[in-house]
Amino acid sequence: MPEKPIKLIDLKQGQKGIIVSIVGGRRVTQRLTDMGLTPGTEVKMIRKGPLCPVEISVRGSNLALGHFVAKKILVKVKE
Amino acid sequence: MKKIIIALAGNANVGKSVIFNYLTGLHQHIGNWPGKTVERAEGTLVHEDYTIDIIDLPGIYSLSTFSIEELISREYIAKEKPDIVINVVDATNLERNLYFTLQLLELGKPMIIALNQMDLVEKKGMCIDTKKLQKILGVPVLPVIATQGKGIHDLVHKAIDLANKEQKIKKIDYGKEVEKEIKKLTKSLKKIELNYPKRFLAIKLLEGDKEIKKLVKKLDPKIIKIVDKSAKKLEDIHGHHRFTVIASERYKVANEIVEDCVTIGVCKFKFSEKLHEITTHGILGYLIMILSIISLFYIIFSFGNFFSEILVEYGMSLKSIYEQYFGTEIVSNLFWGIIEGAVAGITIILPYIFPFYFILGLLEDSGYLSRIAFLMDRFMHKIGLHGKAFIPLMLGYGCNVPACLGCRIMETRREKLIAVFVTTLIPCAAVTIIILSLVGKYVGFEWVFLLYLINLIIVFILGRVAYKVFPGEPTGLIMEMHSYRIPHLKTVIKQAWFRIREFIYIALPFIIASSFIIKVLEVTALSDIMENLMRPITIDWLGLPSFSGTALVFGIARKELSLIILATRGGTTNFSAILSPVQMIVFSLVTMLYIPCIATIAALVKEIGWKKAMFITVFEIGFAIFVGGIAFRLLIL
Repeated sequence: MPEKPIKLIDLKQGQKGIIVSIVGGRRVTQRLTDMGLTPGTEVKMIRKGPLCPVEISVRGSNLALGHFVAKKILVKVKE
Repeated sequence: MKKIIIALAGNANVGKSVIFNYLTGLHQHIGNWPGKTVERAEGTLVHEDYTIDIIDLPGIYSLSTFSIEELISREYIAKEKPDIVINVVDATNLERNLYFTLQLLELGKPMIIALNQMDLVEKKGMCIDTKKLQKILGVPVLPVIATQGKGIHDLVHKAIDLANKEQKIKKIDYGKEVEKEIKKLTKSLKKIELNYPKRFLAIKLLEGDKEIKKLVKKLDPKIIKIVDKSAKKLEDIHGHHRFTVIASERYKVANEIVEDCVTIGVCKFKFSEKLHEITTHGILGYLIMILSIISLFYIIFSFGNFFSEILVEYGMSLKSIYEQYFGTEIVSNLFWGIIEGAVAGITIILPYIFPFYFILGLLEDSGYLSRIAFLMDRFMHKIGLHGKAFIPLMLGYGCNVPACLGCRIMETRREKLIAVFVTTLIPCAAVTIIILSLVGKYVGFEWVFLLYLINLIIVFILGRVAYKVFPGEPTGLIMEMHSYRIPHLKTVIKQAWFRIREFIYIALPFIIASSFIIKVLEVTALSDIMENLMRPITIDWLGLPSFSGTALVFGIARKELSLIILATRGGTTNFSAILSPVQMIVFSLVTMLYIPCIATIAALVKEIGWKKAMFITVFEIGFAIFVGGIAFRLLIL
């Protein structure tokens, strides 16, 4: 049964997800896509905290994303 | 002598500048791209029979139109046709870098790939098959360790070699469906003559690139319809926006190349990982940040104080020598004003600003500043900016001029405006000197600390107000987290020098000119008139002595000068004899907040235009006087 996608920001630390889509303005979408966050890409939540942005690992390197951005990326949780 | 032009292109932070510096040394020219506030770095290298001009293009991730930098880069490569493009690639982050490489290949210009940071590749336990990579991409791939100068000469040789040959650029296949549409479009673009290759145009049109669309539409509006049909088809197949479709295909290719050429082994790079974990930790990270910023200030200002006293002593002995030769008559006295200005500039640059920017550069190059940007992101978000804006803010503690220019890293005009505005509220080194020599020396350090805290609160509140005044969706933080690395000394020194140079070119002339004007006023006794005019503000509202009026006015010209004027107009350097502790605090507070100085205003005009610069200036003067008066009333309660 396919699970409902969640926001990237809701991934738990250490959890992996597959990008489903980016719901945001053209600029943010374009930037994220250019940084390698294309649909189907696997991301891993490295670090998240109440005060800091989130840190994810994608395509072999780490990216920091502000909460604002991390809310716009929808992912399917990978077990 | 033959001439070759090489363009360096690549992502941000891949060591492009290190290679550029290594090749061009002191033969560099840093300017702006015509009409743009984007830096253009050019240099020359003479090698055997060749004069090689090297252009360091801005660090970017894509050749779309996300930023002016991207647009400038692709226009440069397509229109000015450098003989060779050297694509500097961070070998430890191959996939994202290859995404850009693939786009460069689309431009179809002769190219070499400099696979940089090969030492880190080894440390990370990775192995890259460069021969295979070269075969797949169809252009030479050379391993480089830029920080050690390794492989850079090979790059030059290869570039010369290639410049004399025709290089056929291989077409990278983006999958059946996309290729079909590209082929169709390339055909309909047959008669379109632009500087770009047809394949590049076709891909950009499919992506929905507005600039290219405009260019093509002008020549043949019918093509746009064909493009829309093709793009629509791709969108239907893939279920995503056309831009995403093309980007995904490119990344797919990049990913396949990485899988083909890179083998991953055991990472021997544990220390850097650990350091990263600690410095971005939710609690520990903030503690380390606060501690490192406080110690940075402590080191700079205690060292600076010691060093500047020596310099001032030399400056004073210069004055007696000068007076011996030229006397103390009006003309020579006026001329001394100019020398004094230059000396004052030097006693600020050498002991304070240079060391400050040097250490900041070390932190930046090692990767620590991006960790601070990470930690500060949410805070900065409250004022409509993101974490990266913290970097120009930090520069502001040295001198506001390079800090204002540093705000160029902001993505949108609105963000730049807010960033520039809050930067001008940051107390620069000169202001800190005033605060330390008044409040620090005579009132106590806890008050200095309090003043800085108040300043930060004001920055926050005014930033928040500015955010409300200029509404808009803030750009979220999207930042690469590079591994920590040992800073490259030469690059750091150069960077510090460039920032200082902004101070020298923009601020120093103002400092010298205003010193001269001050002398004129002193000689003509105009300051008395001015002080009388300012009495309602100085005495009645701020509770300061009358002579502080001159100090405040000239502080606009040169902040640290207000201290000297305070001493000369007050008749003593023992400030406790002429100012009460409350007056010292009020005076420091006003100096901290009212417009930094003429040089900063000039930088503001340059960055955001006359009107906005004047608005900020007038607002800050009024605001500082307002806050000063309130503080005075609170403190005498």
